[in-house]
Amino acid sequence: MTQTNLIRNFSIIAHIDHGKSTLADQFLLKTGAISQRDFRAQVLDGMDLERERGITIRMHPVTVYHEHAGQRYELNLIDTPGHVDFNYEVSRSLAACEGVILLVDAFQGVQAQTVANAFLAMEHNLTIVPVLNKIDLPIARPDAVIAEMEQALAIEPTGVLRASGKAGIGIEEVLAAIIERVPPPQGKADEPLRALVYNSHFDTYKGVVVYVRVMEGTLKKGERIKLMRGATEHEVSDVGQFRPAMTNCDELGPGQVGFFMAQLKNIQDVHIGDTVTDALHPATTALPGYKVPKAMVYSGLYPINNRDFEALREALAKLRLNDSSFTFLPENSEGLGFGFRCGFLGLLHREIIQQRLERDSELELVQTAPNTTYEILTRKGEILNIDSPQKVPDAGQIEEFREPIVRISFLLPSENIGDLMGLCSERFGVFIRTEYLSPTRAMLVYEMPLAEVIYDLYDKLKSVTHGYGTMDYEVLAYRPADLVRLDVLVAGKRVDALSTIVHRAQADRRGRSLVKKLRNEIDRHLFEVVLQAAIGSRIIARESIAPLKKNVTAKCYGGDISRKRKLWAKQAAGKKRMKQVGQVEIPQEAFLAVLESDEP
Amino acid sequence: MELYLEALGAELAALREPAPVETIFIGGGTPTYLDPSRLQRLLAEVTRWLPLRANGEFSIESTPDSIDENKVAILAAAGVNRVSIGAQSFHPHLLRVLERRHEPAQVSKAVDAVRQVGAQVSLDLIFGVPGQTLAEWDADLRQALRLAPDHMSTYGLTYEKGTRLWKQWKRGDVRPLEEDDELALYTHAMDTLETAGFEHYEISNFARPGCRSRHNQVYWANLPHHGFGVGAARYINGRRELNTRDLKEYMRRVLSGESAAFQSEELDPEERARETIAIQIRRSDGIDRHGFRVQTGFDLDTLAGAALANHAALGFVADDGAGVRLTRRGRCVADALIRDLL
Ligand SMILES: Nc1nc2c(ncn2[C@@H]2O[C@H](COP(=O)(O)OP(=O)(O)OP(=O)(O)O)[C@@H](O)[C@H]2O)c(=O)[nH]1
Ligand SMILES: [Mg+2]
Repeated sequence: MTQTNLIRNFSIIAHIDHGKSTLADQFLLKTGAISQRDFRAQVLDGMDLERERGITIRMHPVTVYHEHAGQRYELNLIDTPGHVDFNYEVSRSLAACEGVILLVDAFQGVQAQTVANAFLAMEHNLTIVPVLNKIDLPIARPDAVIAEMEQALAIEPTGVLRASGKAGIGIEEVLAAIIERVPPPQGKADEPLRALVYNSHFDTYKGVVVYVRVMEGTLKKGERIKLMRGATEHEVSDVGQFRPAMTNCDELGPGQVGFFMAQLKNIQDVHIGDTVTDALHPATTALPGYKVPKAMVYSGLYPINNRDFEALREALAKLRLNDSSFTFLPENSEGLGFGFRCGFLGLLHREIIQQRLERDSELELVQTAPNTTYEILTRKGEILNIDSPQKVPDAGQIEEFREPIVRISFLLPSENIGDLMGLCSERFGVFIRTEYLSPTRAMLVYEMPLAEVIYDLYDKLKSVTHGYGTMDYEVLAYRPADLVRLDVLVAGKRVDALSTIVHRAQADRRGRSLVKKLRNEIDRHLFEVVLQAAIGSRIIARESIAPLKKNVTAKCYGGDISRKRKLWAKQAAGKKRMKQVGQVEIPQEAFLAVLESDEP
Repeated sequence: MELYLEALGAELAALREPAPVETIFIGGGTPTYLDPSRLQRLLAEVTRWLPLRANGEFSIESTPDSIDENKVAILAAAGVNRVSIGAQSFHPHLLRVLERRHEPAQVSKAVDAVRQVGAQVSLDLIFGVPGQTLAEWDADLRQALRLAPDHMSTYGLTYEKGTRLWKQWKRGDVRPLEEDDELALYTHAMDTLETAGFEHYEISNFARPGCRSRHNQVYWANLPHHGFGVGAARYINGRRELNTRDLKEYMRRVLSGESAAFQSEELDPEERARETIAIQIRRSDGIDRHGFRVQTGFDLDTLAGAALANHAALGFVADDGAGVRLTRRGRCVADALIRDLL
């Protein structure tokens, strides 16, 4: 057990790709936690998807020891993800710390998640150690970026350290600043145990591993503990630290960060934000805990083959073992049969889940376009939570239709402000404010429907700013809006999986462009296929796909037969990735056409 | 060429003893380009190992510029009784697009020569050539009919990968016909030839009554056949084999006693049955339920009943209970139908 005055707990926070994991690498190397031989870049990004995409998805805690002014300090650091979908991982990490390293890329400067994460740290009253990173870049513009940090975040320029995680510059100085500036933890060893559960993961061999930060008291191996939320009691079988491999120890004292195991079989038994206390001498009050992140983006997931329904359920359940922010419930679509409505934190989260599913199971899946959640106040006064367009009741029953509104901040070159404002007003954005970080960079804040954000806003932002704009958003509230369900009829039959919820004012335009896109996605059939967009019983757009007229191979003699059969087999296999709705085969792309932007 | 004939002889000799056959077809490439003595040798090798049974059919492929009385006499002496002539078109500009070197006038000379020895005549025409009009196609059909052939094949032009035409198409130098125009040409061939008394017995083939190609009907029933020579295909004992298409490689292999086959596959019974559906459906006789069960061991409706019923409802397939066949509309989209049937 380390004395509290020799412990420092901090997270590394930044915008995506500003170099958090690379700096963490340096800490591990410099302190000898990992040898040069075992080293690989972004060593903490252990998941295969993290390595492939080169991004951090999960928080990664690690304990290192560092000699400073003749004393040996225990540093518990947490590398966090930068992407907005995983923002809750940052919030959780911060509650286990007294300080943060706020990294800013010396070329890119202050970006949307820099601001969001810095404010998060301020709300938690954490000490911020600002670090200008990537100063090795020839295109670095250190002074301008430091000025942006001062302007946007009121950071004292003289306190900003300069470093390069990649070139190993300034690492000692950053470590020294952590020790000198971040306050040590406060808790006492003789108080009743209170430890914050800030994360957990499921290990096939060890069961649930619970990540804790001890606030007061000590957590010992063999101790009987209580999880205060459910008042369940367990015996601690192992206690340890991440160094970075899980390393057992006897106990964790106040201020220390580590893990414990207690024969917990189900990850749902452990609530993130719960307080661990001593079952025999319990604390009287629990720690504040966290808000559970709510899935805001939903989409349907259907097996191409209806027989695979149970296999899909198993695969989803397995994924959820390690990701409780992802949800799924069975649903039934007239067009697609039996499948699941899945909830995600955002589009990247959805993409990652889908990739893992495809990788881990060999299921062939159709995915419907994502939608946000809605609230409907019915005439009878009930509130319905709508996670799928299929669940929207008849217009006659709706008193008020509400959609989630986000506060969204953009950071962009000031010369693109006009274009971005145009974009936002088309998307029902309400302007809040502009702030200049420098003569050339500005921050714009809007309130806007979340649906507009997930539709195509990110791509549009990147295109109007030539890649230099970034955005960050948080959900504010549900607000009433004039919304309708836009249906699509294929060959006269409503395909529920193609329905979307849109603003009435946009319905005609969206309907027209949607059936046009579908016309290009659906192959010609042996008969004419009529596509219609409708609101209720009113048809607002129509397109038709002409039937195949001539499609026949001229020659079929001895030598042609094998070749032809292979071709036919290949085409037949291609058909398998389609979903048959009535007589019409609809490819996966068609279900996603709903999400594509209107312009060609 | 000497060496090729020797190799072919060697491949045939691997039969060990002569295998009498009902039909022979020499084609794929143009054997009649051989000079008379080599042509004679080719025919001798073939008939030595594959003697034709009484009343057998012996066909050979030719072009208008590669046969004359002399060669026809050689063919007749070897027992050839059916000559197919690649006329393709009677329009010089279309022949140029197709890269055929003969003159339209050579066609009737060739036909006359074949008639002289009493062999049957089949004419091949191609439609859907870039730039071709319906009037030109009509003229081609009528000109062919004036020569009173026993059999006609009309092939829709296909852009085969690797050919010059394919490259021109890919480069955008030639533009394929619109689907509607191509359809009009095909329908016009059906109308014209049926009116002239021909039976439309396979997608691309028409015959006067009693003059269908017996040899090709073996392929279209998906029945076994031999195959010899470079690039030849055979289907024996449920195994499909394809000889190498590389002439040097073919000669090397055969003359050193190796098999010329570079591809070989044996389908399982269900795959074989499905392939049979895909091929037989192209015939005007279609698929006979009883015959199909006898030939493949499978019930047609178990394999493809739902799709066939669907096609029948849409008017692409006619089903009289005993069997199914494509309707006229069905023939135009046979590939799409076959995809559903597999
Ligand atoms: N030139 C230079 N490149 C760096 C430096 N630090 C990181 N990089 C590069 O920047 C990219 C992102 O680095 P990461 O360490 O993965 O960034 P991150 O902040 O952890 O990214 P997320 O976890 O996805 O938010 C990688 O290509 C690194 O090699 C640096 O100091 N100098
Ligand atoms: Mg990272």
